[in-house]
Amino acid sequence: MSLIKMNSICKSYRNIDFETEVLKNITLNIDKGDYVGIIGPSGSGKSTLMAIAGCLSKPTSGEYILDGEEIENLSDRKLSRIRNEKIGFVFQAFHLLPGVTALDNVILPLVYSRKSPKNVKERAREVLAKVGMDHRLHHTPGQLSGGEQQRVTIARSLINDPPIIFADEPTGNLDSKNGIATMKAFDNLVEEGKTVILITHDSQVAEHANRIIAIRDGKIASDSKFQYQKTPVDLSEKI
Amino acid sequence: MRILKNFSQALRGLRLNRGNTLLMTIGVMIGIASLTVIVAIGFGIKVKVLNRIANMGFGPESFSVYAGGGRLFFSRSKNTSMTLQDSEDLLALPTVRLVVPRQRKRMQIINKKEFTSTRVYGVTPDWQRARGWNIVDGVFLSDSDLDRKKKVVVLGATPARKIFKNKDPIGKMVRLQNNFYEVIGLLEEKGLTESGYDPDDRALIPLTTSMARLTSETHLHSIKVVTLNASQVPETMEAVKQVLRRNHNLSVFSEDDFRFVTPEGIMEWVTESAQAMNRMLILISTVSLLVGGVVIMNILLVSIRERVKEIGIRRCFGARRFDITLQFLFESILVSLLGGVLGIGLGLGISFGLKRFDILPTQVTWQPFVLSFVFCTFIGLIFGIHPARKAALMSPEESIRS
Repeated sequence: MSLIKMNSICKSYRNIDFETEVLKNITLNIDKGDYVGIIGPSGSGKSTLMAIAGCLSKPTSGEYILDGEEIENLSDRKLSRIRNEKIGFVFQAFHLLPGVTALDNVILPLVYSRKSPKNVKERAREVLAKVGMDHRLHHTPGQLSGGEQQRVTIARSLINDPPIIFADEPTGNLDSKNGIATMKAFDNLVEEGKTVILITHDSQVAEHANRIIAIRDGKIASDSKFQYQKTPVDLSEKI
Repeated sequence: MRILKNFSQALRGLRLNRGNTLLMTIGVMIGIASLTVIVAIGFGIKVKVLNRIANMGFGPESFSVYAGGGRLFFSRSKNTSMTLQDSEDLLALPTVRLVVPRQRKRMQIINKKEFTSTRVYGVTPDWQRARGWNIVDGVFLSDSDLDRKKKVVVLGATPARKIFKNKDPIGKMVRLQNNFYEVIGLLEEKGLTESGYDPDDRALIPLTTSMARLTSETHLHSIKVVTLNASQVPETMEAVKQVLRRNHNLSVFSEDDFRFVTPEGIMEWVTESAQAMNRMLILISTVSLLVGGVVIMNILLVSIRERVKEIGIRRCFGARRFDITLQFLFESILVSLLGGVLGIGLGLGISFGLKRFDILPTQVTWQPFVLSFVFCTFIGLIFGIHPARKAALMSPEESIRS
């Protein structure tokens, strides 16, 4: 059964006197456990696609079913719950709360969660350890390097154990060494059974995925699957 | 549980945006403090005016006639028409018990190297009976002092203390202008009134001496009239009016060249001025509240615009619109409370300080505190929550990109 099911999704942004059509008739299925790379030049609409898939904005028209739920008519309350429980986001610009420690940034999704584990801090330490960041618990984003910040955002996306991870240009602000480590982290997540969707314009990054969808001018230009699997590497050892 | 979590996020938000928190707190604080201080000063002045009037020495059966037309303390013209003859004619009225013709001048009173400025009155011996004011040492002015225009003076407690320190002033000489006067008596000390008016700050000399040597004027400044009993005041005033108009040769077309100062007249005037003052207070309060409100509003608008991205991030990770509203509601309430408490403290401090150091009379009342507190909190809530709600209504994608 497909986890993400899009049917003729269109999205246009209305300005005062003109309308920009960003997505044109996107139809797409993503299954559980897929490792999808969405590639395309900037302005092609891939970030908009992620925003819609991640329930961060609504399509102008079309049908979107996420994990069996029709998104179109859901209330803010339900959408927030879906974002909280089913989706984890990793952004190019990290989007960590400034001035807040790594530990508290990672805890953020639990603040808005219905079911919060008994020991919130323990759980946060656990996920931070998983990305090799357990030695920087009380540092604020300003005191962390780009690679470290990105690992904190990965930990944040994992704390609620969501089935889907969206990563928008996760390596865009990182040097190649940190970029490789970050990609390894995503590889491991897929290994654990999560569905990872990478948005990138870097074909090297996209190669980690086993399915590559190319977007051009708001349309799917190609959709190809690969069969090979990468060997998971223990991230914390590597760094 | 969720409310508690949002509350702790609000606390964190305030801590992280220390600068804005500080500015907003100061805004609320100044709004509340300025209003309360202004209202306290207004009330203080009102109380002072009332006190001063209460201390003018009116009994229910007396009133004064001042030279010059006009109303109460506001003379329309300098007038030289009131004379000792008027005073004698008034005493002849059947309902009049006493009259005290007076001259008044503020001047230096000097004992060797010590001097002070005081109010010097030229009066008759009846002054003491009209005021019922005791002598603690020596004697009061006598008829013979008056007849012989003697250079004698009865001192109030304040000038006596200032120029004689702890020494006994009786029999000593003091100088008024170029003449030396013998101190023959000392008035009983009444002490400062609540409002700071000093009734003991005076010196009394015979009216005739005052006319000859001090003012070089033969006309009177005022006459105090004491009737036999309080109910006769209105008819006596009418009679006084007739006598004075006739004595001053006023035609039916001319206005009075004298004016009455009565307890009722003063009360009426006080009520009127109190109303005017209240109106002014309401206006000033409204303006200061509006200014405070605009300050708080602007800081909030700027502060929240800066935090749209934070709202976006929170929304991405599962915050409902309601959570955002709740967080900013708590932040606004906390800032309002903090600013309110500080503002009340500052307002009280300034009010008491002004009073303590005699800069302005202040009277602290609770109403402005409640009013400004409610208003500032209200502004804080409206302008704190509205932009936050607007940010929460945007799609998370939009707000995160801002």
